[in-house]
Amino acid sequence: MSAHLADPEVSERTEKTDRIELIRALGAIALTPPPSSDRLCEAVGLASIAPADHTEAFVLLLPPHAAIYLGPDGQLGGEGLDRVEGFWRALGLRPPADADHLGVLLMAYADLLEQTAPFAERVDASAELSNGLRMAPTEARTDPAARAAATVFHEHLWPFAPGYLVALSRLGLPEVSAWADLVLALLRDERHRHPAPPSLPLALREAPGPIEVGIGFDDLLDAVVTPVRIGMVLTQRDLAAGAAEVGLGYRRGERRYALKAMVEQDKPATLSWLARLAHRAAGRDMAHTGAAGGDETERWWTRRATHSADVLDTLAAQAETSREPSEHRLAPHDPAPHDAAR
Amino acid sequence: MTAHDDRGAADDLGARARRVSAARRATEARGETFYPGPSRIHLAAFPPKERWDDWVELDSRSWPKRVEHRYMLVPTTCFNCESACGLLAYVDKDDLHVRKFEGNPEHPGSRGRNCAKGPATINQVTDPDRILYPLKRVGARGEGKWQRVSWDEALDALGDRLRTAITEQRQNEIMVHLGRPGEDGYTERVLASWGVDGHNSHTNVCSSGGRTGYQFWMGIDRPSPDHANAKVIYLISSHLETGHYFNPHAQRITEARANGAKVIVLDTRLSNTATQADYWLSPQPGSEAAINLAIARHLITTGRYDREFVRRWFNWVEYLEHCCPDLPVTFESFEAQLVRLYDEFTFDYAASESGIDAATLAEVAEVVAGAGHRFTSHSWRSAAAANLGGWQVSRTLFFLQALLGAVATEGGLFPNAYNKFVPKPIHTPPHPGVWQDLTWPLEYPLAQNELSFLLPHLIKDGRGTLDTYFTRVYNPVWTNPDGLSWMEVLTDEKQVGCFVALTPTWNESAYLADWVLPMGHASERHDTHSYEQYDGQWLGFRQPVLRAARERLGETITDSREINPGEVWEENEFWIELSWRIDPDGSLGIRQYHESKAEPGTKLSVDEYYGWMFENSVPGLPERAAAEGLTPLQFMRRYGAFEIARGIGAVHEQPVPIDELRDLNITDHGRVYTATDKPASPNIVPLGAPDPDAQGRRAVGVRVEGEILRGFPTPSGLLEFWSSTLADWGWPEHALPGYIKSHVHPEAMDADQMVLLSTFRLPTQIHTRSANSKWLDELAHTNPVWVNPVDARRLGVARTGDLLRVETTIGYFVAKAWITEGIRPGVVACSHHMGRWKTAAQDGAVGAMMATVDLVHDGSEWSMHKTASVAPHPSSDPDTQRIWWSDTGVHQNLTFGVHPDPISGMHCWHQAVRVTPARPDDRAGDISVDTAKSREVYLEWLAKTRAAALVSPDGKRRPDWLMRPLKPTPEARLIPAAPGPS
Repeated sequence: MSAHLADPEVSERTEKTDRIELIRALGAIALTPPPSSDRLCEAVGLASIAPADHTEAFVLLLPPHAAIYLGPDGQLGGEGLDRVEGFWRALGLRPPADADHLGVLLMAYADLLEQTAPFAERVDASAELSNGLRMAPTEARTDPAARAAATVFHEHLWPFAPGYLVALSRLGLPEVSAWADLVLALLRDERHRHPAPPSLPLALREAPGPIEVGIGFDDLLDAVVTPVRIGMVLTQRDLAAGAAEVGLGYRRGERRYALKAMVEQDKPATLSWLARLAHRAAGRDMAHTGAAGGDETERWWTRRATHSADVLDTLAAQAETSREPSEHRLAPHDPAPHDAAR
Repeated sequence: MTAHDDRGAADDLGARARRVSAARRATEARGETFYPGPSRIHLAAFPPKERWDDWVELDSRSWPKRVEHRYMLVPTTCFNCESACGLLAYVDKDDLHVRKFEGNPEHPGSRGRNCAKGPATINQVTDPDRILYPLKRVGARGEGKWQRVSWDEALDALGDRLRTAITEQRQNEIMVHLGRPGEDGYTERVLASWGVDGHNSHTNVCSSGGRTGYQFWMGIDRPSPDHANAKVIYLISSHLETGHYFNPHAQRITEARANGAKVIVLDTRLSNTATQADYWLSPQPGSEAAINLAIARHLITTGRYDREFVRRWFNWVEYLEHCCPDLPVTFESFEAQLVRLYDEFTFDYAASESGIDAATLAEVAEVVAGAGHRFTSHSWRSAAAANLGGWQVSRTLFFLQALLGAVATEGGLFPNAYNKFVPKPIHTPPHPGVWQDLTWPLEYPLAQNELSFLLPHLIKDGRGTLDTYFTRVYNPVWTNPDGLSWMEVLTDEKQVGCFVALTPTWNESAYLADWVLPMGHASERHDTHSYEQYDGQWLGFRQPVLRAARERLGETITDSREINPGEVWEENEFWIELSWRIDPDGSLGIRQYHESKAEPGTKLSVDEYYGWMFENSVPGLPERAAAEGLTPLQFMRRYGAFEIARGIGAVHEQPVPIDELRDLNITDHGRVYTATDKPASPNIVPLGAPDPDAQGRRAVGVRVEGEILRGFPTPSGLLEFWSSTLADWGWPEHALPGYIKSHVHPEAMDADQMVLLSTFRLPTQIHTRSANSKWLDELAHTNPVWVNPVDARRLGVARTGDLLRVETTIGYFVAKAWITEGIRPGVVACSHHMGRWKTAAQDGAVGAMMATVDLVHDGSEWSMHKTASVAPHPSSDPDTQRIWWSDTGVHQNLTFGVHPDPISGMHCWHQAVRVTPARPDDRAGDISVDTAKSREVYLEWLAKTRAAALVSPDGKRRPDWLMRPLKPTPEARLIPAAPGPS
């Protein structure tokens, strides 16, 4: 047995150092296009991500910026980014470039963990609560770096990363999915290492309200592509698949444009499909949170997705009811009109 | 998820964590990069250093086919401005040609970033018009006919000539005039080895004014602002776009802004920098010091200055004793005096001088006051280089720094010597025993640098002639004011016996040379650099990249001509060889300084020169290199830069070690002199050298509150609010930070005159060498005259593009107007860089930027008219067929008389001009000059001086303690018994 394994304190430090390195490396993989990230993938034990897949995932389909998933407009920058940058400024530090990028957040989080007091100094780090959660380590309440790390985690990573990573995993890019699943597993593990936050993260506390039955057409389109309003992440790939599923033409463009084109072609079918998507998202969330003891943040997303699904069901029904007879769309396998006329 | 799943997941995470941690340790132990694109420098990606021997990129021109190019990446240092940013040359492994240049991520100053000028180095290297072989003049000087010769022929001829001059004690007939120095003192040491005081620089047309203000305060003539950590950044210049250390500073200013810093820019012109400012102040040119003093007054009257810092570090005791003998020598008394001294500089007064409303000035002053120790400022050229008394701009600016106590603080301003490292070289020859009056004339005892731009006039005065005059990457005819007086002297073989142009490219001066000797660009020569760009010290290495590439392949290269294009050489090897030709047997005592130490009696090689330096004079480098299994020279050839230290802090606050304190003399003012020898230091960074005491003890520190601290290299050891040097050398009225009204102050100009602002640069241009960079030519190739719409209406200029005639004291130029609100009414502006020309007779050219002109000379009257514009033309580069521009601007400097500031010696660039619509026969680019009038201007400004013979307090030509590239022996520093025409 090596010396450090014999010494629990050293062993714990080594474990901490290794874990930090894993977090940092996983962040760097998202941040670094291949082939530069190949060696990191190998080190982590993942297959290399093809350059085109990396671009498809992290640039084109699901940019990993918190502002998109937590910001009130569902877009890059703005209030979502300000919150992350403001955190660093509040610490008296310069925000890193691309501060709300998941890769940057993971690397910065790792840096903060590195500055925390050694685990062994935490007097009750292993105490467990009756509900299975580990007790908040005392040091996290007194060690500024630990406090900062916990804040990054609960305010800036955990509020969006699970939903984002699940969406990423669903893209069907095997190497990217493997990365996403690993990051999600790691974050779930990390969640237990921090004290439970006293309240919902700010981004969720101040999130715009959910969609309601009386919502206007344009507002609905905006909401559906704004994760924090609708409670799920809608990708271009979802839209393309959805259009195929309900037999509509998929018009290339930004997501709102493509969605609008679908709604204009067949509102009841599109809304119905969206509702199914939201139900699936809520179900997924519940599956994830159930046995593992999801926290308030995860439950917030489940509630929001469930609510959206219900509203979309209602809207779909209303649209179906108000559909003019002539508007009845062709079934996916009906012959096209010009074929019928032939 | 079950508990079993949990356990499994945790085990998997733990295994992966151990695996990645081990991989990182193993990778870094091999000296390789584990995390590409370190967040530390925020670069998205760059080639990791371990792949610099074999870096693969796809050929973009072959798309959609996938064609790989394999490169060897070799670092060097950019040569296209003073910043010395790191470059990485991409050397094609197939044919060992450089294909492109990008940033060097290992460079601590530039951190992988470059401006447009860096990558454009490839244009210079592949320039179809570049000079590839040594050339000797054929026919009359300036006739434009050349004969290719061998290096041996040139070296033998020059060696003979120089040896004769030296042995005949005509050392002062030898001069080397530097444009872009791009090195830290190599040429000075060559001249010292020859016993020649012939170093001439371009600094008095560049930064002398700025330097003077800093030198009189702190004994160190350059500022080193820690912009990245500042809360308020105050720029009297264009540092975000073109200023000194443009790229290294701009990226740090950008960081500060991202962190909430406020940027205040004083610039009469809406520069790119001004567009990024939180406060853009467009002052009446020359009023900048008045604005500074109004802010200083605000700090003083509101008690917003760092009282403790001022009390500890200002030489207020000395000031009170000398200037206020009736006042008690107490700090409170000094504070009261400060209020009185600057009482007149109210915001209203500054508003009346600057034209900026008092409320805005007050708001800016509040912002400055709120900065505390996180205040940085910079004034380098700009106003300090443009106005009579411009040096007071930087002196009053540093006054703000000092009042705030923001000196060598995080986010404050450091004396540059704290943040610069000049390694001691293998040989250090003694200083020369002669004094060069053609560069350091008696009339300018306080001049910060050589009176370079007066050379033609000093020669015309009959003060001396030159046997051999070298220019090194310098174009005096084009760069200096009054260039046609330069032509008159340089074409007169009686005045200048032999003119040698060491240059990579053709220029207006090289056409007049007797020898044109091709020297390398950034990737073709050796130099070392260290510049103050943050609170740290780094050393950069410029090298012929193909030499390093071939050495990586196992070849041995001993002469850079083996790998440079044609017979292009580098100066260092040239100087060594030339010194051996001057003194082949060593009898003159010159050769010893160019000999190998390892093998005495043989020629010093650049490998040994730099190898010795890196091994012996750069702390930490040998250890760092050894950790990677490299010699220090191999390390620098591989990485191109090394950070020696970071976080230097306040050197002046450091206690003097007890070892240095023996047989002390401590004056009443606390200056401490010691009998101990100065400890050997590997860092020979230039700084002030305070005089020893009467017994010859050296100044070692200053007593502050009973503690002996290192202090500043000034006569007092303190920050000199009051300069005893200025007071003792004839200028007591300017011994304090003050405001000198400019020669273009409204009171000094006629009602129909305007101020011409001529000093500004463009961010994509090199001073005089852009013309050989096709990318830069395409980006910017002309210099219209900026005119405010109000003035345009008054002058009857209807449209942008209309021609203007701009009349100076010695002539006029014709240029196109650019009507813009980006310039203050009453002021016109015309940029540097443009108006390059050649006559039809000249063989060489710069095809993309040099117009062909008819230059007519009749007595003292000169005129220039363009006869052909640049146009598409065939060459080895197909891009010369794609030249779409024809307008290359106007060479305005030819029409400027010389304006040496009587104290700093700086040429005061601003011109009082009359602007009118062009006359019917005027054409864009026309020039007319009367050099007889330029003589009158020279004499008029000479009359403003107070010559050393009249004011020197100690019989010397110049205060010994001031910085000077070469410091002649004590005897040579004395004013001669029978002074010359002065």
